[in-house]
Amino acid sequence: MIDTLYKKILLSDRLALSKAITLIESSKLKDKNKSEELIKKLYKKSGKSIRIGISGPPGVGKSTFIETLGIFLTKKKYKVAVLAVDPSSKKSGGSILGDKTRMEKLSIQKNAYIRPTPSRGELGGVARRTRETMILVEAAGYEVILVETVGVGQSETEVAEMVDIFLVLLQPSSGDELQGIKKGIIEIADLLIVNKEDEFKNEVMNTVSEYKNALSLLKKDKNTFNTEVLRCSALKGSGVNEIWKIIKKFQLLGNKKGWIKEKRRQQLTKWMWDDLQKNLFEKIKSNKKLTLEFTKLQKKVSKNIISPTEASKKILHHYIKNNKS
Amino acid sequence: MKKKNYINWTQLAKKELKNNKLEILNSKTPDGINIKPLYTAEDLKNLEHIFTYPGLNPYLRGPKATMYSNRPWTIRQYAGFSTAEESNKFYKENIKNGQTGLSVAFDLATHRGYDSDHPKVVGDVGKAGVAIDTVEDMKILFKDIPLEKMSVSMTMNGAVLPVLANFIVAGEEQGVHQNKLSGTIQNDILKEFMVRNTYIYPPEPSMRIVSDIIEYTSKFMPKFNSISISGYHMQEAGSTTAQELAFTLADGVEYVKCALAKGLKVDDFAPRLSFFFAIGIDFFMEIAKLRGARLLWSKLMKQFKPKDPRSSMLRTHCQTSGASLTEQDPYNNVVRTTIEAMASVLGGTQSLHTNSFDEALALPTPFSARIARNTQLILAEETGITRTIDPFGGSFFIEKLTDDLVKEAEKMINEINKMGGMTKAVEKGYPKLKIEEAATLKQARIDNADEVVVGVNKYPPDTKEEVDILNIDNTKVRKEQIKKLLVIRKKRNEKKVLASLEALKNAAKKSPNQTNLLECSIDAARNRASVGEISDALETVFTRHRAIIRSVSGVYSSAFEGKEGLKNIKLQIKKFASKFGRRPRMLVVKLGQDGHDRGAKIIATSFADIGFDVDIGPLFQTPNEAAKQALESDVHVIGVSSQAAGHKTLVPELLKNLKKQGNKDILVVCGGVIPPQDYKFLKDKGVAAIYGPGTNIPKAASDIIQLIEKKKNIAA
Repeated sequence: MIDTLYKKILLSDRLALSKAITLIESSKLKDKNKSEELIKKLYKKSGKSIRIGISGPPGVGKSTFIETLGIFLTKKKYKVAVLAVDPSSKKSGGSILGDKTRMEKLSIQKNAYIRPTPSRGELGGVARRTRETMILVEAAGYEVILVETVGVGQSETEVAEMVDIFLVLLQPSSGDELQGIKKGIIEIADLLIVNKEDEFKNEVMNTVSEYKNALSLLKKDKNTFNTEVLRCSALKGSGVNEIWKIIKKFQLLGNKKGWIKEKRRQQLTKWMWDDLQKNLFEKIKSNKKLTLEFTKLQKKVSKNIISPTEASKKILHHYIKNNKS
Repeated sequence: MKKKNYINWTQLAKKELKNNKLEILNSKTPDGINIKPLYTAEDLKNLEHIFTYPGLNPYLRGPKATMYSNRPWTIRQYAGFSTAEESNKFYKENIKNGQTGLSVAFDLATHRGYDSDHPKVVGDVGKAGVAIDTVEDMKILFKDIPLEKMSVSMTMNGAVLPVLANFIVAGEEQGVHQNKLSGTIQNDILKEFMVRNTYIYPPEPSMRIVSDIIEYTSKFMPKFNSISISGYHMQEAGSTTAQELAFTLADGVEYVKCALAKGLKVDDFAPRLSFFFAIGIDFFMEIAKLRGARLLWSKLMKQFKPKDPRSSMLRTHCQTSGASLTEQDPYNNVVRTTIEAMASVLGGTQSLHTNSFDEALALPTPFSARIARNTQLILAEETGITRTIDPFGGSFFIEKLTDDLVKEAEKMINEINKMGGMTKAVEKGYPKLKIEEAATLKQARIDNADEVVVGVNKYPPDTKEEVDILNIDNTKVRKEQIKKLLVIRKKRNEKKVLASLEALKNAAKKSPNQTNLLECSIDAARNRASVGEISDALETVFTRHRAIIRSVSGVYSSAFEGKEGLKNIKLQIKKFASKFGRRPRMLVVKLGQDGHDRGAKIIATSFADIGFDVDIGPLFQTPNEAAKQALESDVHVIGVSSQAAGHKTLVPELLKNLKKQGNKDILVVCGGVIPPQDYKFLKDKGVAAIYGPGTNIPKAASDIIQLIEKKKNIAA
């Protein structure tokens, strides 16, 4: 089965790609082993795309932007994959996918592949699955990967840490509202894009200069790309050409100066540590011999008899001792 | 004395309740209105409106002074049968049998401004109404029907310009001047953005079209109602009564503002505004709604300072509720429709359509149409209901309920005003989301049997009654239409056509105050430009609207809080997820031009609430596009929601495309208005299951999971 999937993915078979992503998303151990095997085989065939992360507050027009950029790129004969994570309900575990991220026009393009994925409320799980999915779509020949994050907060940083270039879409607004969010966003964004210039021309201009000002106060590092601020109308398509130019410039410079490679190297090692952390955690937690001990410690912590840090050290200690004997 | 009587009654009632508190007999409507077991003269205190008279402001007791005592309501049955020829035959038959007004239903392709030969409407031509491509079709539609005598109502909102233009030209070529034409064009685009989705252009240019039509008819067609402001489709989509009332009247206010902005005087057009409400099974509430609507409209119109009393007078058409009809035990629908028709009449409607009992399944047959019409004839001519005006006037209960309902609606209207009016509220998606929330709650109430539907969630029949259904061969209709189009395109003067379309485009580019788009459309129609060509010309300037679709979540399951209802299905999903490594995943789609998305939205949100991962397809998706989406998301099952009879063409097309794209695992199930006669056809084509109206959602979900598991076991 893995062999067939492997061959078909390399031939860019849409069905095989979909089935393989399902394997990655599966919570079954058997599927996980299979997907690891597949990733191992495809790993060397991946890495050739430009990975673009896209974030921004709700209602800023992310999906419209992705659709417009995506169509622009498919017209230029690029193969474009969109990976979107939608939140699962904490209560029911179910989810509504592609509701806010629906891209009607892009989804019908032959050269586009769109895969929404439920977040399933699993810590760190989204990151692992998205990283692996990226390897698959790259092996299937997709040249541009757009990774969309829904909402704000932790997922934003997670995505920023797995892409080459991170775009943040912004609402046009009056000056004083900006102060709060400026710093955090600027730190992780490579490109700030103020949307909706069709509707709020003046506000967009103001917002752009606000951010430019804020950026000029930051120290510049000659070895990396300096965050740029652009404007567009995702709805009408204006500004998209310019944005793509900047992305290409980023890629060109990045390749020339080696920072994209460096970024990816860092991301890979981080991935390794993340993976180790996750696996180790799962190993410890699923160790049946220690279950009783864990329950006892958990009780003690909840009753304030010992501190959480003390308990966690004890667990580690038990685990190591247990593995030695 | 009065007080003593009341105390005596309370004591007696308490005794009958075995000393429970009287309050246990109170209940709340979905709008939160409190309903008491008894109303008394006390409840009428402070109600000014009980002293008013019919025909006089605020018209609560009726727009006419004599009402049905002088002339009964107009019996207006809505119909459209695939081709102009067949519809014409049907209309003439109905007129012979006592019908007094015509009402035309158009097919979905026409609604959305596509000609019958457009590739996007392969499954939609001739479905749910008549296909009109050019004025020639319109002329056939009204052949031998004297348009100067017969009032014609047309349900058209999207392609309202070419259709009204064709109607005017058809009259002209029949020898009837436009100032003699009487009837109504629905022309209510705001509600399309809320519920029915048969729009073409974005809200702003759409509103301009509305005001152009109001302007034109007020100048040249004095007997024609320029708009029928409709709450009908809101109730059908699951709105509460107060929502239907509030959103409809708020739409009305918006149209008035829009026409005033075009420079018209309020008294020039307001008397020709008409309304259209749904009458559901909640008998007293519906009577109160119609009375309350008239009261509220006269209040709302005050801000525009009309001088003509007719400007503040709400006149309405009513139709019995299609959503209250059930597929199970279909003859019960005759009874439901009778009760609803009574409520419409007791509420004082000006005209009425009674649904046929088979309309939960398909278009009416001659038999079912006759029963429906006779329901009205019996009411009008046998019961004596027409003898007295506003028979519920002065009823403690109805008068108080009218007042409660009006107050509830006023709250919502204030909310909309705060947003800057209905166009703004619609752009924000506020009313749509509110209605969907109400619809989801209603579904949950029916699923857990809080709301009884006889023959569905209580007293189900032992045997299934097979009802004769009118079947329409959509492929044949399409072929005929295309042939006619070819002939017309050959015969007409192409230069003239292009010139008139160019003139229309230029008018659309100009400021609304300089041109009238209906005038230009009439010119184009006269030259035999088609509905599609006229719509396309406008689309090049206005663009085609794409809706931002949002869905509610958590509403469905909230109605099950503290109940057992969802426990089993949740457990079943948990087991499924651990067995297969993920939750069951379903893509919910609507195919073709059918924009009724209430069913699809309820399925999506309730299945997600139950624990499915649900993908939603965009409106107006083609089978090929749906197959691609299903494949990329690797869903287990596609649920096709169909309300407009396109299933026989579109579903097999979907199955074909799935196969073509290499997929063998994805199940296809269907839901919505699908006649049982078609079940075998669909199943033979490969559909795994079909769920009709009245399906219990947790049950269907459980069934679907079993079907997926079965398929997986065979595959493995």
